[in-house]
Amino acid sequence: MSAKLLTGNGAAAWGARLAAVDYIPAFPITPQTEIIETLGAWIDHGKMDARMVTLESEHSMITAAGAAAATGVRVFTATSSQGLLYGMEMLYTVAGWRAPFVLVNVSRGLSAPITLEPDHNDILAARDSGFLQLHCATCQEVLDNTLLAYRLAEDKGVRLPVIVNMDGFYLSFTREPVALPDPETVGRFVGEYDAENIRFRASAPASQAVAVLGGSPYSYFRYETHLASQNALRVYEELGKQYSELFGRSYEPVEAYHCDDAEWVFVMMGCFATKAKAAVNQLREAGWKIGLVRPRLLRPFPGECFRRALIGKKGVAVIDQNISMGKGGVLYAELASELYGQSNMPAVLASFIGGLGGRDISSEEFFTIAATLREAVNENRTPPPRLLYTEKELREVRKLQAIAHVERQQLSAK
Amino acid sequence: MNESHLRRMKDLPSTHLLGAGTPMCAGCGGLQALHEIYDLLGAKTVFVNAAGCMTLLSVYPFTPFRGSWLYTAMASAPAGAQGVRDALDILIQKRRIGREEDLETVVLTGDGAAYGMGLSATSAAIERNLDFLYICYDNEGYGNTGQQYSGATPHAAKTSTSTGPSGYAGDKKDLFAIWAAHRPAYVATVIGAEPLDLARKIEAAKQLRGPRLIIALAPCPVGWGYSPEETVNVGKLAVKTGIWPLKEYIDGHVIHTKVPRSRLPVEDYLKVQNRFAHLFTPQRDEAMLVSLQTKVDDYWKNIA
Amino acid sequence: MYRIRFHGRGGQGIKTAGRILGNAFFHEGFQVQDAPRYGAERRGAPIFAYVRASRDVIHERGIIRHPDLVVVADDSLVPVPAAGILEGISRRTVLLVYSHDTDATWQARLSTSAKILVLPPPKKPTEVPEQGSVGAACVGAAARLIGVISADALRRAIEDELADAGPVVVRENVHYALDAYEYVGEHQGLVKEGGEPSARDYERPAWISLPFEDARVSAPAIYAAATSVEVRTGLWRTLRPVIDYARCNRCWWVCGSFCPDSAIDLGDQGYPQIDYDHCKGCMICVAQCPPHAISAIPETDAEQEQPAEIEP
Repeated sequence: MSAKLLTGNGAAAWGARLAAVDYIPAFPITPQTEIIETLGAWIDHGKMDARMVTLESEHSMITAAGAAAATGVRVFTATSSQGLLYGMEMLYTVAGWRAPFVLVNVSRGLSAPITLEPDHNDILAARDSGFLQLHCATCQEVLDNTLLAYRLAEDKGVRLPVIVNMDGFYLSFTREPVALPDPETVGRFVGEYDAENIRFRASAPASQAVAVLGGSPYSYFRYETHLASQNALRVYEELGKQYSELFGRSYEPVEAYHCDDAEWVFVMMGCFATKAKAAVNQLREAGWKIGLVRPRLLRPFPGECFRRALIGKKGVAVIDQNISMGKGGVLYAELASELYGQSNMPAVLASFIGGLGGRDISSEEFFTIAATLREAVNENRTPPPRLLYTEKELREVRKLQAIAHVERQQLSAK
Repeated sequence: MNESHLRRMKDLPSTHLLGAGTPMCAGCGGLQALHEIYDLLGAKTVFVNAAGCMTLLSVYPFTPFRGSWLYTAMASAPAGAQGVRDALDILIQKRRIGREEDLETVVLTGDGAAYGMGLSATSAAIERNLDFLYICYDNEGYGNTGQQYSGATPHAAKTSTSTGPSGYAGDKKDLFAIWAAHRPAYVATVIGAEPLDLARKIEAAKQLRGPRLIIALAPCPVGWGYSPEETVNVGKLAVKTGIWPLKEYIDGHVIHTKVPRSRLPVEDYLKVQNRFAHLFTPQRDEAMLVSLQTKVDDYWKNIA
Repeated sequence: MYRIRFHGRGGQGIKTAGRILGNAFFHEGFQVQDAPRYGAERRGAPIFAYVRASRDVIHERGIIRHPDLVVVADDSLVPVPAAGILEGISRRTVLLVYSHDTDATWQARLSTSAKILVLPPPKKPTEVPEQGSVGAACVGAAARLIGVISADALRRAIEDELADAGPVVVRENVHYALDAYEYVGEHQGLVKEGGEPSARDYERPAWISLPFEDARVSAPAIYAAATSVEVRTGLWRTLRPVIDYARCNRCWWVCGSFCPDSAIDLGDQGYPQIDYDHCKGCMICVAQCPPHAISAIPETDAEQEQPAEIEP
């Protein structure tokens, strides 16, 4: 096992290469493009025995990915943001085919206004599609979870496609030391793709993805997909143990950092959670009993793991890097539904929204979130949801609005 | 057209492969064309389907196909064909299956997908030189949703979204020319009412590799407004009046495979369908009839 | 943790410089994080790259707010607010500027408490690095100032990064880097690792609750024409096209039509005039002018003739 400095995109490409994928339908989009360029170069120079085809859209790309998986080859594909949404119809569709493959999504804020930097609204739009979701916080996790994702997707008790998610720029273009597992051991871990009865062969006619009429068979097929997704929680736990034995890095559905003795907890997903880790260290230095909980698996939702990690805590701050218009933070709402009505759950569950479109979250902001939690518990109230946004930022927006000729009296009338 | 062993009607298959029992309407011109085509393509095929009437061919747990089938979505059946074709090639190349397990990849869509939503995916599949056969059953409207106008609807036809006194204001898109402009291996128009012509073209397409595209005019009793038993008559009239030219594109040339010696008036085709009834009652729309006839005459002016 | 920011223009090897320094730290056994940052702009526009290195796992990510070392590969960027060179620098920051001007000149020009050190381009014109290698010279000096990177690790870092570009490029870049490494030798170890932010003593962010503003105000729309002229893309330029009006034959159209940026208009007399606030320095006008009346001069020379104002 050797370590190398790799970007998140590079780590994803290595994941696909080590998993010995057969087929890569592709379409370029920032900040994902480096993944397909890297794979394309390896194929062109004989370092990888796979076929890559650039389709004309993500909708077609995901169709081709699902169709190839349904024919019985191992498939990798990647996209981001608008691309994921352009292919959204097919995300739902191919998940229903029960065709296993892996898609890496490089998170990027959604239009409008169109932008380049990350938040999680793209990946959360795929939340209900049937794809499993693995969220990464480091480049190492991107590689390891790409390998885990194939085992998970192809598991007989699951057989669903998986999205491995990483944040644009903060992981995709950022190099970190990544241990490259030895290909032979990876080969033993990932194994050959056994397509079982999902295939097209002259000797074995099959009609896949056929229509149904009526809600009863429809409910059956849909709910079976839900059950398969739920199975993935146990399978991921088991695979994480195997991975740890082979490669020395362990993966659990939910990462709990300094949680055992913690009274206060940050909950975040994606790579901004490592910023929260730094803040946890700094707060502990100042005497705070605080920790971080981060879901790696978002679908299936690891509710029980959350409950175990949060039991008996005084206050929990969920920092959502996404916003459901008219509702608020998505992870906050999902977590609340898991904790409600359970005994010995945190008294205060507070919602913060930050990091939209890659907006930084400073250490001072993490400290202030912790302080806000403590104040709320002392006063026995839940604080209102808070967007992490400063006066100075609004002043800067005012300057932009002046250039855009937004009429002053309209502004001042407010 | 290549020399064919299909010289006369009696050379056509007498038993049929496509299973009965489908939910297609009685008298469906599209199903008629498909079953004629399927006899020649056979069961070593995988049909990749886009949303349309024929999506209902395979409703769990029933399928008429003796080979394979994959339903995708309205816009991306050619991309589904790409995935299947590539996967089969990979499996054969990596010796995970033998050549005898190979399948012909066939896209099957209506005109809604072919002329509209799926055109970008088709264009791209042709430019990538995908080895596949595309069959469009063209019933000149969004038939499965109740015959709203599509890019394939002819001028003046009434549809459920062109109900005014003049019918549909647009013109039927020339998909044959659009496909041919990509210079694929083969393009042809067919109709179920001319089974020998159809069979020869499918035979020709089978001999070739690369993108091969077939548009089958699919007379639709429900959408066009005529009794089911008239499907073949309406189809024959489409050919005899010159409305539906039977032709093929191969090696850069367009050849008309059936040139009507003396074309019947277009009116003969229009008047048997309710969707054109407003051209005749309560009074004749002479101007429109002349204009429709002129368009057909202009088309044929320079042909044979 | 070491926190280092590189500033330069697209095309000067800034991304590469960051990666070379990252490689060098990695060879010395550090945990490393490096990344380039650029927007939608292209060659010539300001970009930056950052490197973090620590003996421990690095959790911090994204932009570096309080750098220990800021390396400026293009001194014309210092006065450009958008380049953000002076963001978050303090008494303990070292500012390394690749420049013809002296330390004292820069110290006088910038009212900052940061330590300023100049890395001058070589005196012999033949020795001056190509644009793409300026970053290598800067990274050589940076490595020495940091003090924990050996010349050997630096060399290996360059070899790793540039292997695909071939041995000649590797040799040249190693040469520039090692020259700079030697040049700043007396300042070895000047850059000190920064500490962690304190959770005992910090300033709370001035959060606000965003007010509701109706869609006439809060939709992302611009209610005016050609506001892009407020963006001074002239700052991207490293070469300046200069018209010799004695040779201009007033053809009316060639330079102005081909200028992609609408930066050449005709004046009253029918002579073209270049809008240096917006000319990006592509030199299409120089290449296309039929009587060869437009020539390219280095922007630094042009500035010496006509000193540019430094914004406060």
